[in-house]
Amino acid sequence: MVAAQYFDGRTTAAHAVTLTLDGEWLQMRGDVLAHEWPLRDVKVSERLGDTPRRITLPDGGHCEVTDHAALEVLLKQGGYRSGWLDGMQHSMRWALLSALLIVLLFAAAYRYLLPWGAEVVARSIPANMLQKMGASSLQTLDKLMLEPSKLAPERQQALRDAYARLSPLPDAQLAYRIEFRSAPQIGPNAFALPDGNIVMLDELVALTQDDDEIIAVLAHERGHVEQRHALRMVLQSSAVGLAMTWYMGDVSSLLATVPAMLVQASYSRDMEREADEYAARTLQLNAKSPCLLPDILHKLEAAHAKRQAEARKDSGGSVMDYLASHPATQERSALLCPAH
Amino acid sequence: MQTQQEHAFEFTGKGWEYFRIWIVNLLLSILTLGIYSAWAKVRRLQYFYRNTQLAGASFEYHGTPIAILKGRLIAFALLAAYTVAGQMNPLLGILIFVLLAAVMPWLIVRSLRFKLFNSSYRGLRFGFAGSDGAAYAVFLLFPILTVLTLYLLAPFTHYKIKQYQHNNSRFGDTFFRFDATAGNFYGIYLKAFGLLLLAGVFFGISAALHMPILMVILPLIYLYIVGFLAVRLPNLIWSKTGLGEHDLYCRMEVGKYLMIALTNLLGIVFTLGLYIPFAQIRMAQYKFSCMGVLAQGDLAEFVAGQVQSDSATGEETAEMFDLDISL
Repeated sequence: MVAAQYFDGRTTAAHAVTLTLDGEWLQMRGDVLAHEWPLRDVKVSERLGDTPRRITLPDGGHCEVTDHAALEVLLKQGGYRSGWLDGMQHSMRWALLSALLIVLLFAAAYRYLLPWGAEVVARSIPANMLQKMGASSLQTLDKLMLEPSKLAPERQQALRDAYARLSPLPDAQLAYRIEFRSAPQIGPNAFALPDGNIVMLDELVALTQDDDEIIAVLAHERGHVEQRHALRMVLQSSAVGLAMTWYMGDVSSLLATVPAMLVQASYSRDMEREADEYAARTLQLNAKSPCLLPDILHKLEAAHAKRQAEARKDSGGSVMDYLASHPATQERSALLCPAH
Repeated sequence: MQTQQEHAFEFTGKGWEYFRIWIVNLLLSILTLGIYSAWAKVRRLQYFYRNTQLAGASFEYHGTPIAILKGRLIAFALLAAYTVAGQMNPLLGILIFVLLAAVMPWLIVRSLRFKLFNSSYRGLRFGFAGSDGAAYAVFLLFPILTVLTLYLLAPFTHYKIKQYQHNNSRFGDTFFRFDATAGNFYGIYLKAFGLLLLAGVFFGISAALHMPILMVILPLIYLYIVGFLAVRLPNLIWSKTGLGEHDLYCRMEVGKYLMIALTNLLGIVFTLGLYIPFAQIRMAQYKFSCMGVLAQGDLAEFVAGQVQSDSATGEETAEMFDLDISL
């Protein structure tokens, strides 16, 4: 026997009733009411926490039941089966399992779906858009952290000529130019802009006497550009940023960070390996030694280690130095130049 | 005159209970790439409606997932058409934007009808009888005039929208009535504007005195303004709404509201969203505890109106474009 409140669907008056099951018939009894309906014509709402359950009756009325245990007994008697979701929605185990699965799904999307999506989008961006992005990035960088190059014009021209003589791989798509700049606070470095321009810092040129080593770096950077690495990194981090700002609710701050991300974006190990491979193929095509790249990489590493040591002396050491070092250089050089 | 009997709403939802329902439905929504979210939405509304009690009985939501899904698909198609057209040709984008603006009032009316028709209390359905013509005035004409008058008309437009919504809503056969005046709305908006001026004065003083420490007060004032509007407007709107001879009331307090809203926000941020169901329950608990009915005699004297059906298309389209201005 289940206590319930009956509403006839025509007035708001509540009638206290009891529900009982007689074979396949649901019987409802109240002070002045007595009805019965076949159980299969009656609709019982699914369980939803401790909320009152609703029994929709064929006469347009309904019953509200708050005595859940008694109703369960009656429903079981009538052969009523709850849906598969019912158990899941009310078990702590399923709640925790769902939370875990959601976290795993997000992690998988971040690890696999995001890089794949970024690559698809990066490859579909037209050349004039790349040019615009490259030009505006260079402009911002010039304003924020780059200084004009102090390299003699003849030296610049010599490097440009050497680079121009380098035949590109047959599947190369972009035209390449070198922009010479100086940036004492960044140290020896070179980076590729999305449009194919490569920013070469004086500090890196000063690191070596061998122009071929600089050409090797340029070939490596070209590999980053051809494979749209910078673009993919920017797309990935903006997608994450977009999701975070959508979640927190502010989009304008996102747009301001794009140029900075272009420089700060540290490529993934896979990306570095791809660019190394590209450089090695380019050097091979031009009858140059693939060991040129490891040579300059070692010099770069030594120069950065020295800078860090100096910075440590000034600041008393920091955790960032440890994170910023490149333990992979040995590994990379072994791959590129086994004889070394 | 008969004495009024006060019936407060009571919200009986529980955080952990709702969390279990919410997370399972969220997982299914993700796994089905959003399709299941229509079912999740119905379940969420059912949980909240059924946990809302008034005078010993609860509310019920009757919307069907398929109707909601249909509406969402149409909304998605409209949004996609707008985005793609704008990309291909700005002129085409503007054309579609104008078209969207032209159908929006019509969609809002469908959405209000769907929402109210699918809500019931004590076996009686709610309903909405607003005309399309009046909807074009309050949802298109007045907003355009508001922009043209540099938002001087904004409180009046808000008043007209609420008047249109509440005067055209009914429970069974009995219509709601809206007794607020445009002056009431201007009063609240002017106070908020006054607070904003106060913030400006503080900014001026702190700049003049070179005391940036005073700037700390600025975000506090802005926060208070947000809470002030979020509390005082519903208080006004619901306290000036009646049903037949009965009156409603809403007596939220800015301090308490802000405290709940802020702790909710912190909880959501620090649990990466897992606190969302708890936050929703807490806010509903507070809001409903502040609301109720001042009944004239017995509540049980309403007669059911006619039954009519509608599709959910309107509500979903309006919701996705974030134009659902209802409270």
